[in-house]
Amino acid sequence: MSKKYDVIIIGAGNGGLGAAATCAKAGLSTLLLEKHNIPGGSASSFVRGRFEFEPSLHELAGIGNPEDPGSIDETFKRFGADVDWISHNSTFRLVVPAKDGDKDTFINENGVEVTVDARMPAGFEDFANKLEELVPGSYDSCMAAFDLGTRMYSAFDKLEKPLEIPSILKEVPDFMRITGHTLNEVLDALGMPKKAQDIFSTYWCYMGVPGSIFDFLYYSIVIHSYVKAGTGIPKLRSHEMSLAIDKVIRDNGGEIWYNSEVTKVIMKNGKPAGVVVNGEKEIYGSHFICNSHPNITWSELFDEMQVPKKQLKMLNARKIACSLTTVYLGMNKTKEELGIKDYSVFIAPDSDSDKQFDACQHLFNGFCIINCLNEINPNGSPEGTSQLFLTTMSFGDELKDVKPEEYKKFKTKVAKNMIETCEKALNISITPYIEEIEIALPPTFCRYLNTPYGTPYGYMLEKWDSLIPRTIQFEQDQPFDNFIFCGASQERGDGYGCAYYSGEKAAKLTIKAIKGGK
Amino acid sequence: MASKVKALKTNKFIPILSGRQKKFESEMARLPEISDQAAVIAKALHPKKQCLKVAEIIDRADDCKSFVLVPDEKRGTSALAYFSAGKYLTVFEEIEGMKITRAYSISSKPQDALQGKYMLTIKRVQGGLMSNYILDNWEVGTEVTVSAPEGHFEYQPLRDANKVICLAGGSGITPFISMAGAIIDGDEDFELTLLYGSRNKDAILFYDELLEITKKTDKVKVIHVLSDKDADISGDGFEKGFITADLIRKYAPENDVYSVFICGPQAMYDALDNELPKLNLEKKYIRHEMFGEFHDPKSQKDYPSDIPATVSITVTIQDETKTVTGSTDDSVLQILEKNGIAAPSRCRSGECGFCHSHLISGKVYVPKHLEYRRLADFKFDCIHPCCSFPLTDLVINVPPAK
Repeated sequence: MSKKYDVIIIGAGNGGLGAAATCAKAGLSTLLLEKHNIPGGSASSFVRGRFEFEPSLHELAGIGNPEDPGSIDETFKRFGADVDWISHNSTFRLVVPAKDGDKDTFINENGVEVTVDARMPAGFEDFANKLEELVPGSYDSCMAAFDLGTRMYSAFDKLEKPLEIPSILKEVPDFMRITGHTLNEVLDALGMPKKAQDIFSTYWCYMGVPGSIFDFLYYSIVIHSYVKAGTGIPKLRSHEMSLAIDKVIRDNGGEIWYNSEVTKVIMKNGKPAGVVVNGEKEIYGSHFICNSHPNITWSELFDEMQVPKKQLKMLNARKIACSLTTVYLGMNKTKEELGIKDYSVFIAPDSDSDKQFDACQHLFNGFCIINCLNEINPNGSPEGTSQLFLTTMSFGDELKDVKPEEYKKFKTKVAKNMIETCEKALNISITPYIEEIEIALPPTFCRYLNTPYGTPYGYMLEKWDSLIPRTIQFEQDQPFDNFIFCGASQERGDGYGCAYYSGEKAAKLTIKAIKGGK
Repeated sequence: MASKVKALKTNKFIPILSGRQKKFESEMARLPEISDQAAVIAKALHPKKQCLKVAEIIDRADDCKSFVLVPDEKRGTSALAYFSAGKYLTVFEEIEGMKITRAYSISSKPQDALQGKYMLTIKRVQGGLMSNYILDNWEVGTEVTVSAPEGHFEYQPLRDANKVICLAGGSGITPFISMAGAIIDGDEDFELTLLYGSRNKDAILFYDELLEITKKTDKVKVIHVLSDKDADISGDGFEKGFITADLIRKYAPENDVYSVFICGPQAMYDALDNELPKLNLEKKYIRHEMFGEFHDPKSQKDYPSDIPATVSITVTIQDETKTVTGSTDDSVLQILEKNGIAAPSRCRSGECGFCHSHLISGKVYVPKHLEYRRLADFKFDCIHPCCSFPLTDLVINVPPAK
């Protein structure tokens, strides 16, 4: 019989990588199993012609700067993982093109009639000043929202340590008041004008829920971290981040097997005892960390009879979050020649986040984020070229009627629509200069991430299933005392930092169970 | 300002906590039924492998046959993955104890896959392990295992010009005959002008089929370019000599952009290297199918000197480690295969990255034109074994073949 591992980790997404690095560094015999031939899940890259594309990463909020490192930089330092970061002092630009009948429109710098054009800087003061300039009377409420974000973050930190919860009430009296209220409710209470609220809420789509659902506490932490330090990315695409952690795991005695898909979990005495790899090889372990989406885990790796009843009920209660569509473009012109001045422009059919969310029920929705890698990484593509990627959140309703043989035409149609949305909103020309193109619809993400509808977001952060209840109830929601989930399906939802965190957390609980038990 | 939040009701999240567990409790304890067309499409287009059998063999020329492949339901394949014209299948074979792979462009049109048929057209390559094996051994009924359709050599309307000059040599006709069929079926919509190089009329593959296609549509034009000095070029649609810049200009649209697609033997690529620059086309308008497996690293100008004839490779796959010996003329992938070790591979030209592996120690040579690795692969010593040639003894970590 082959050796028995202390911990077997299913899936080398960001969560699985974080878990394996933490376990291996703690001296556990660690085996990380990944069905694909490279690590990272979403955190990867791919080459077409002379371009290397970034598949998923828009920006990392947690890089910070050398004087004040952010949480992701700290995580990588803690792992001892070597990544070169690039930072940029910007957040986002929101452009809402005017529709027939819109009032208060104006012609922006691109010569396009719009209702909103907000290019927002990093830094709390600068951001609030810009918001005041765009929507008079919004400065105070914006600074108050950032201030709440700072205090909520410190309170949230303590939630991880149950003994410290009483002290939260003393130090952050507003915590009990704020928690459980939506983004819109709190901004209303702060008296922020509606249009300013819309601009302030632009990052809703990074977590997949709009202002009427998004828990204020969580959103305040998200926007706080982006505005505090601006944007950061790894120099060599996210493949660099994933390979850096891969190296940490191997250097610390852990094993990673690629092309090694867990096809079954072996149960003994009502608990997981091992896994079957690629349908043939049995590997045994005492603890398990699962980076696979729970819907896929329970339906594909277990017999339904073996699944704890609560886990089946959770699947029925929770809503699968939205999916993604991304168009990757290698351009044979520079960003200056194309007339692109921003790293990240959010183009929306309406400024209201709930209306944007509603539009995203469909693939042809007028909502599109256009990113230009070269704006932040000048060497992100060969001289004389640039790299763009266009993203829309989507539930992909129209896909229901698409047959596999119609898929190429369908995805070309979706891409054309997204490119034209960007061309119109920015008054630029993209199509004639496309040298390389790759189109990823939900089936693409489904293929690489193996999640329902290809969602990278896990479950929707609905009001009843948002950050705080997920965090407080994390341990009671886990299926077995030796099997813990990590990744975007867990308490913090999607995002690189959230996934690494969830992996580290699952690893720490596992380490405690093993070392505490001895 | 922050005092304004006092208007909010306190302790709102307390009932959310108990409500959440109650909500879970109230649900059915069974797997949800999800109708997920994204998963249906992903699985239909990208099966892990396809089990087929040979249904028909068509002689194309002395050294070339077409094999019609159909699903082998007994081994679990009931339908074929649809594909975009131009894609290839990787064929998996076991020959004298070696587990090897080769990529062949699909020569049937996409719609035929819906009828349960793929066609591969294979020409004998001198000394070619797989082509000789297939031509000598595949019979009607032979079981064949292939990958999902792979590759990026296809028409993309948002990128390519609507008029495409296709340059083919020998069995390089295969992706183009599929594209022409796709145009007839309405799967693709572009004007295809094919300049097809053969030695003489007898060596032309798919002559009748191409003629038939041009009768059915104005969108496909075919010009046979015959290279034998005494080749007969009587009749419509023949040219003598080789494919040159002048010949391309003759058939290219005069005042419109056009794309050039190329698929053929290495000698054709080498010749076109001198011709294509004369056309002053933007890079985006020139696309070529992969070059096929590269065999002669020592012919390259930047190949280092004083390299031993043989090296040893210590390879770990999952929890098994072996040490094997091989020639420095062979790629790391070939050395593993010759030693009976199944390693992952698809395109065998560096491009697809399917063989991505870790180089733990030692040095390899990668021909520049086959360098498709990701930037971070250089930083963390990852290689594509299919186009990495050992210069020293190596220690490598390779994923298992799937």
